Amino acid sequence: MKKQFTFFLLLLFFSNLSFSDEPEGYPFNSFDQAMQQAQETAKPVFVYFGRYGCGYCEKTNKEAFSSSEVKQIYTSHYILAYVDSESGKRLRLPSGERITERELGTRYKAFVSPVFTFITTEGTRIHQIVGVQSIETLLEADKKVQAILSQAAL
Amino acid sequence: MKNMHPVFFFCLFLPATTYAQFWSFGTPVDVTDGYADKVYHHLESAGRRNIAVSSRTVAIVWEDNRNGNPSVYLSLKNKNETDFSTELKISGSGEAYEPGIAALTGNRFAVSWEEDGKVFIRVINAQQLKSPKLATIIQLPSKEAMQSGLTARGDQLFVTFSERTGRYSHIRLIQLKIDPEENLSLLTDCIVDPAPVKDDQLYPTAVVTDKQIMIAWEDRRMGHTIIMGSLSQSGEFCQFSAPLRISKRRGERKLPYGKGHGVSRVALGQYGKSDFLAAWADKRNFRDGYDIYASVYDKIGLWEANSSVQDEFGGVARQWHTTVAGHLNGRLVVAWSDEREDSSDIFYSWFENGEWSEDMPVPGASGIGEETHPSITFDADGNLHIAWVVRKEVGGTTRLRYMSGSLLHRSK
Repeated sequence: MKKQFTFFLLLLFFSNLSFSDEPEGYPFNSFDQAMQQAQETAKPVFVYFGRYGCGYCEKTNKEAFSSSEVKQIYTSHYILAYVDSESGKRLRLPSGERITERELGTRYKAFVSPVFTFITTEGTRIHQIVGVQSIETLLEADKKVQAILSQAAL
Repeated sequence: MKNMHPVFFFCLFLPATTYAQFWSFGTPVDVTDGYADKVYHHLESAGRRNIAVSSRTVAIVWEDNRNGNPSVYLSLKNKNETDFSTELKISGSGEAYEPGIAALTGNRFAVSWEEDGKVFIRVINAQQLKSPKLATIIQLPSKEAMQSGLTARGDQLFVTFSERTGRYSHIRLIQLKIDPEENLSLLTDCIVDPAPVKDDQLYPTAVVTDKQIMIAWEDRRMGHTIIMGSLSQSGEFCQFSAPLRISKRRGERKLPYGKGHGVSRVALGQYGKSDFLAAWADKRNFRDGYDIYASVYDKIGLWEANSSVQDEFGGVARQWHTTVAGHLNGRLVVAWSDEREDSSDIFYSWFENGEWSEDMPVPGASGIGEETHPSITFDADGNLHIAWVVRKEVGGTTRLRYMSGSLLHRSK
């Protein structure tokens, strides 16, 4: 019982430390890992540009990414990448250039948080949605991206 | 109306605000060779200190991947001549990033950088500009360190960096003495904020006066990033005041989600005898992306209310990469990357009589192409020196450019 209580306290402590990172239960990767997976699977990448302490990210996580439909569609249609657009963490671009997550945010115009960017396996931007999202807007964005990709494949 | 004097109409067309200062810039010159395939130059360092001037010598440090591995390079020039010298590799054989530079006395410089998770320092004596002397590379005593910055006073060098101990990182300061043969000896070594680390402290930068050092950094302990600063006690470079918050809240309303707005990458300037200014990228106006904000450290030891450095015309555009230069004569300039004309340009504003000037594009560092990542400094005479990155297009290959400017006229 004492062990269980300690475990619960630790869980509570660490859950409070995660101030609006990527939504729970999704297989988000670092950007370069995601790009590598995208090359291997030929799937487009969904990049979540968040920020530490970002309120609209937290709202979107709770109100939109909590949807099982969103989760099913996004995990099957895309390779998922999470980028803290204020972080100094380094990554490698498909061009070979090494930059920080913050600089990646400047390249993809992540001027607010969150920004959600759909990109090709080469890193070309397909579509971008900005700010807090609902289940409906995420599903709508997916339909738009899939239509663009279908059109491009013809 | 008919009786109005023509001078009245002339006055209508005068600008509402007349600034007493006018800056004139020379011709931009290349620091590095032209664009090379898959070579990317980066002017990145904590506090954006990539350029320094000692006596007659200008020095610029950067990182690029010309040899396949990110490494640190330095180029020098006589400030009265046009061309830069051959580029010198400064770092070791590992992956090296984010070099910062400080001017020492007598055409000497110190460079710090991060390499394979450690911080290194090297002193360069450029008394003989065509054959500069590179001292031995020194590794600082830390297991995991990053984001180093330098400031110097006479023969003393102050290194700040973010040091990871376990889950989080804190800010550490090391004070070194440099002898005439470029040998370094340790004077002091301390943690700036000794309180238990509950979240990351990142990207420190410092300025030093004769008796005190001011350090500012990004602090994530509030659950979002804020800018904090601490001033050492007079004559005691390792005895710090309790950290003060520099970036202030946008309002006191309690947010239903999140902890607060975003800020990033503080730069510090010292101007006059002991005045300090901190400037950073700030997302309090969250619809328009980052803007450049600043705060002045006042005479009673508090950081004043935050003010927007940029003018209203930049309000709806994105601004990044804040750099600050201050001078003992009171001059203070802030420059940044600015997307108000769609592509990125370098803009600057100067502080005069307690107000920021209108924003000005740096001539030669604005217009066609991507001009980004500025780093600025003053020389002893009060001339402004600027280095920046040029890309043909977003994500394209790069080159570095340099220019100097002077205060042309003061109408008083």
